[in-house]
Amino acid sequence: MAPPATAVADALASPARPRDSRANIDIMAPTKGVQWPYFLALGAAVLGVLQALVVLLYQTYVGLGVAGYQQPVFWGLYIVTFVFWIGIGHAGTLISAILFLFRAKWRNAVNRGAEALTVFAVITAALFPILHLGRIWKLYYLIPYPNQRSLWVNFKSPLLWDVFAISTYASISVVFFYIGLIPDIAIARDRATGVKKAIYTVLALGWQGTGPQWKAHSRSVLHLSGLATPLVLSVHSVVSWDFAMSIVPGWHATIFAPYFVAGAVFGGFAMVINIMIPVRRIFRLERYLTDYHFENMSRFILLTSTICGYAYAAEYFIAWYSGVEFEQSSFWLRAFGPYWLSTWCMITFNVIFPQLLWIKRLRTNLPFLFGLCFFINLGMWFERYVIIITSLSREYITGSWGLYVISPVELSVLAGSFCWFSMWFLLFLKVFPVIAITEVKELEIHARDHGGAH
Amino acid sequence: MSELDRRDFLKLVGVGAGAAATACAEPVEKLVPYVEQPESVTPGIAVWYASTCTECPAACGLHVRTREGRPVKLEGNPDHPINQGKLCARGQAGLGRTYLPDRYPQPMLRGAGGELEATTWADATAQLQAGLQGGSGSTVVLGGRVGPSLDGVIDAFAAATGAQRVVYEPFAYEALRSGTQAVFGVASLPIFDPGKADLIVDLGSDFLSSGLSPTENARQYADARNVKTHKSGGTRMISFGPRLNLTTSSADQWLPSRAGSESAIAFAIAQAVVEAKGSPAGADAAGIQAFVAGGNLAKAASEAGLETSELTAVVEAVLHAKNPLILPPGIASTGSNATSTAAAVMLSNALLGAVGTSVSIPPAEASAPVGLAEIKALVADMNAGKVKALLVHDSNPVYSLPAELGFVEALGKVATVVSFASSKDETAELASLVLPDHTPMESWGDRAPRPGVRSIVQPTVRPLLDTQATGDTLLEAGRALGGVMPEGSFRSVVENNWSDVDWRGALALGGVFTDAAIAPVAIQGDFSGLGMKSSSIGGNGEYTLVAFPHHFLGDGRGAALPWLQEIPEPTTKLQWNSWVEMSFATAEKFGVGFGDVVSVTTPAGRIEGSVFPRGGIRDDTIAVPIGQGHSVGFYASMEGEGEHGGWSAGPEAAAGEPGKPRGANVMAVLPAAEDESGGRVWLSTRADVAKTGRFRRLALSQWTDNQRERKLAQVASLAQVAGHGGDDHHGGHHDEPPHTFTAAYDADPDQPYRWGMVIDNDRCNGCSACVASCSIENNVPVVGEAQAIQRRDMAWIRIEKYIGDGNQKGGSARRPVPDSEKLGELDVRYIPMPCQQCGAAPCEAVCPTLATYHNKEGLNGMIYNRCAGTRYCANNCVYKVRRFNYFDYGNENFPGLLGLMLNPDVTVRQQGVMEKCSFCVQRIEGARQLAKDEDRNIRDGEVQTACQQACPTNAITFGNLRDDGSKVVAEADEPERSYHLLQELNTRSAITYLAQVTRDENEGNH
Repeated sequence: MAPPATAVADALASPARPRDSRANIDIMAPTKGVQWPYFLALGAAVLGVLQALVVLLYQTYVGLGVAGYQQPVFWGLYIVTFVFWIGIGHAGTLISAILFLFRAKWRNAVNRGAEALTVFAVITAALFPILHLGRIWKLYYLIPYPNQRSLWVNFKSPLLWDVFAISTYASISVVFFYIGLIPDIAIARDRATGVKKAIYTVLALGWQGTGPQWKAHSRSVLHLSGLATPLVLSVHSVVSWDFAMSIVPGWHATIFAPYFVAGAVFGGFAMVINIMIPVRRIFRLERYLTDYHFENMSRFILLTSTICGYAYAAEYFIAWYSGVEFEQSSFWLRAFGPYWLSTWCMITFNVIFPQLLWIKRLRTNLPFLFGLCFFINLGMWFERYVIIITSLSREYITGSWGLYVISPVELSVLAGSFCWFSMWFLLFLKVFPVIAITEVKELEIHARDHGGAH
Repeated sequence: MSELDRRDFLKLVGVGAGAAATACAEPVEKLVPYVEQPESVTPGIAVWYASTCTECPAACGLHVRTREGRPVKLEGNPDHPINQGKLCARGQAGLGRTYLPDRYPQPMLRGAGGELEATTWADATAQLQAGLQGGSGSTVVLGGRVGPSLDGVIDAFAAATGAQRVVYEPFAYEALRSGTQAVFGVASLPIFDPGKADLIVDLGSDFLSSGLSPTENARQYADARNVKTHKSGGTRMISFGPRLNLTTSSADQWLPSRAGSESAIAFAIAQAVVEAKGSPAGADAAGIQAFVAGGNLAKAASEAGLETSELTAVVEAVLHAKNPLILPPGIASTGSNATSTAAAVMLSNALLGAVGTSVSIPPAEASAPVGLAEIKALVADMNAGKVKALLVHDSNPVYSLPAELGFVEALGKVATVVSFASSKDETAELASLVLPDHTPMESWGDRAPRPGVRSIVQPTVRPLLDTQATGDTLLEAGRALGGVMPEGSFRSVVENNWSDVDWRGALALGGVFTDAAIAPVAIQGDFSGLGMKSSSIGGNGEYTLVAFPHHFLGDGRGAALPWLQEIPEPTTKLQWNSWVEMSFATAEKFGVGFGDVVSVTTPAGRIEGSVFPRGGIRDDTIAVPIGQGHSVGFYASMEGEGEHGGWSAGPEAAAGEPGKPRGANVMAVLPAAEDESGGRVWLSTRADVAKTGRFRRLALSQWTDNQRERKLAQVASLAQVAGHGGDDHHGGHHDEPPHTFTAAYDADPDQPYRWGMVIDNDRCNGCSACVASCSIENNVPVVGEAQAIQRRDMAWIRIEKYIGDGNQKGGSARRPVPDSEKLGELDVRYIPMPCQQCGAAPCEAVCPTLATYHNKEGLNGMIYNRCAGTRYCANNCVYKVRRFNYFDYGNENFPGLLGLMLNPDVTVRQQGVMEKCSFCVQRIEGARQLAKDEDRNIRDGEVQTACQQACPTNAITFGNLRDDGSKVVAEADEPERSYHLLQELNTRSAITYLAQVTRDENEGNH
């Protein structure tokens, strides 16, 4: 899928040499100056984080009882939100690594934003398994470290796999993000003055744009892509095994790994679109983030939505086909039990709404896409809610059936997590170029030399 | 614990240990520090004392386990003939009275400001004497039943001061006493032995819950139905009553008779019995004929709302049974002609030959409680200013008397009201002087519940607070007023009363138990004023109001004990509050459902309560439990926690609202009605129901009684038990081979033990004694109503209640609906659910920190210190037996002295950790120490888990599955009944359940 000529139409009017490109000015523009709406947004995000922090201190002090847990639902909104954010974090690596390996050039305009989103989503997600612990102060028990008491962790537990999967994913994402940033940091360094220049200088690691540096850089990106590609599949597979490895009806299913990965990519792309549309508009990056990019992402969404739809159907089919009453009841009650609303929201938002993307006009209609992706994010959150809460509330012993009701404390932490994510993203916007300048230039040159399509 | 610093604590421990060491000798009146360690007290080793339970008149024997001078656990005394080593939940929880936050720390005197203020004993005693001496009018001693020794002291005091003594018990069974007197000429309460009958007709006695001796009767009934020894299924029971109560749930047939029709049914049966058996020689045949003349099957059937054929069949069965027994109506069905009803029942029992086999009539009691008539007279005296001093002991009349009697107003006319209550109650809070008694754990005393049983109450701890035995207070006051009182302290009075026996031997054994035969009685038949009358239930309301004794709270005295509030009431699975039971049809009529608040209006008052709709109640009846609605008490009222404050409230919900009642006191709105003999009538009024539009959620521990054909609680027919009829999956018994694995192998092969358990569901009647025992043994915190509503109870064992096999419907509502009960249908299945200690435990594999692990003896250990609180284990536990410490229950939920009650052998769990049943591993380890010292293995039966130890019906057997000779292996060897719960999941559970047996009418001995 090489970009059609129109995709980079503006870029075709590019100058002979990369350094004459307008990209440097356009893309670095958002990092310049002080705009009060920006600080208002940042301030709101920081306040949101602070309120969640206070609430979490309260929760840690008095106990997890302030969250909405009711027997038999021992996991609640925190784990739901954990899976949600981990899923969001998938688009970045997918775009950066897999699409890089497949030489899908259109990714260049969105990969920086997506990678940033990945890093921030992962650091958001990683908070949740920690703050849902009954004794946060014993967090280190989950980490295998040599100690005098010869205490070791249980490598059979999927939760431990989670620890490794998430930390690996987080480190690879950060490294990937940073390596990709180096040439752009160098551009920023060259355009900055004073303290900023000093900081950018350190971060740029002495980047001069020399041939050997570029060679090393592209090698690194290639190899990291190779490393990161299996991670896209493994992280969410491992997260899905938190559920699939258990014996809970509704969780104990072999489809979980691919189902979760598809869902993650689906949700991740939706989030990328949801963020990039306003970014493009606010920072006037229409030249770089074109309809073409959004259409491609829409196609991805359509594909993964359909995979999700298939997975939903397969789950129900297998529950019926298994002949196991526990499974059958669990799924029947998902659709028609106390949580029917969540289930139907999930199906409607994730499977039915995205089918509209078969219509080409809608794939490039940004307001529509923005709304659709908002609903997809909501739907994906509901998906995790449905999987976790409904399954736990209707297990084997009917006498122990119960409900779960979200508490204000949890809602406050949920809101705080969005603020936390936004805070990082807003800081990122102010500090680094949101679009990979060097890669855009590469495209421009490519377009100039080859006149668009091959 | 803030009131008690370390020094005081050590003093108490020292003093308690000193007292403990010398409890069998003269009390030592000095501190004994641990540097001079009492010879018989070794820190870490429990010392046991025999005593007697005072929670109800049954007087079960106790073994009190003390550690370092503190009683920490009550168990039944195996040598005691009544309970034979078992103890009900109420008895278990009675231990807590010593440690309750409600206790008066010292004497209290009503000051000028109208508040009770602390004072000294010298001052308080002077006040008492002044109150008794000055002024005109009489002195009245009002109180519940006490033992012979205290009876003697009170009587001596009454004689010395010219006081009148009124013995008052809310549940006094006046009608049964009067009815027995009418038939046999002896005013006493019959002793029933349901085990000696082969057919029981239960006219609403609820003898397994609130009867005269529930623990004893439960054992007798279960033993008589043991399918191992009775191939025919043993004793059968037909139960009458408007609602499915605990006893009915263990019956074989339920005839849902209209409330108030007990009398007609009793007379119909009596008439048929007299007709068939004739009158005995020497009895007034004509009088008997005339007495039962009103009995008529057809009329009774129409009054009861049953088919005549159903009643005829009952009568047929009674007449054909070898040893039939008719049980008279219990408290909830005591109607306006209760004495006649009881007389008719006792007459039938006599004619059927039950008296002498399954019923014995002991001699009349020395100080029997009075009826409502005498209380009315007392209130009139009080109002007339004839009473200058009222001394109230062991009783809470302000709470338990009908409000329309005006006892509270009359109390205001009495110059000196003295209460001897050790803990706050409604009466004591209105008294002018409180002279707190010791609690039963600190007291001397005795009980003589029946001929041949003399039981001792001995102190097991030095009084924790500045209290004084009521016996001593009265002795002192009597002497000060110049009366002739027994010599010495109350303790020596007790000892002198026992001077005819080996005192030390009696202390060690818990009493003197002989096989004193109860003299046979003959029918005297003085039925004057008695006879068949239709029940006259007053009021104009649409529904008959059944006020029934709460299984745990009794007449309300259990409400102060947190365990009794929190353990789910067995028939409804409701916790903490009062509720209004009504049928689904009635609820639908008012447009209300679970938790909707309705008002219940009787001619005597109005209460409100949340609706609990159920299938097991007649459409024309509503029922409200007796026992709640206290306005005083940390747990009994809302003092300990506020009204449920929403999800965010968390621990703030515990900010209490003193004075606000928890639930409603239905006793207050019952009219002050009397039966023929002046006894109190409980089934006396109709009530109007109205919707209030408010909603108050009830704490319900089990949201559905539908097991969806999952074969959780299985049944087997008698034919299946006998080994034939295997194809008949009547009731959904297992269709897989029950033994596809051997749990004995799920342990280290080098270990001699694999601990396991057998639970016989057929013996379980749902009484929940095991739950209380487990909670107290294992320091399981009580979480309070607000948390219980969020289903955060911490019970390590629970009793699930299912109705029938269930169906695939239901489970889709947001409100809980246990809706499988059907009027007149009985298929109630109780299944106790402790941790199954799986051989392949799902919880173990998923714990990231190995906080839960498999030990070498097959137990699923739980290392609290290692738990980080991921709660994955609880999600993955298929039996849902794991409990999480959402708050710091271990520190916060044992307020005041309650922390002293904790079992030192069991860790108190921290906030944020998971916990669960450990098979009482501390008891296993205790036995192991002993075995190790003697260089042997732990013997079979040496370890009893707390649940097993308490179970009145011996439904639970625990032991070593590796030992082929052990009882647990023998018990499990019932291939027709044994099954493992959810065996298809291959958790390799260490618990073998034995399916409940359905006793078909057409099988066995009928």
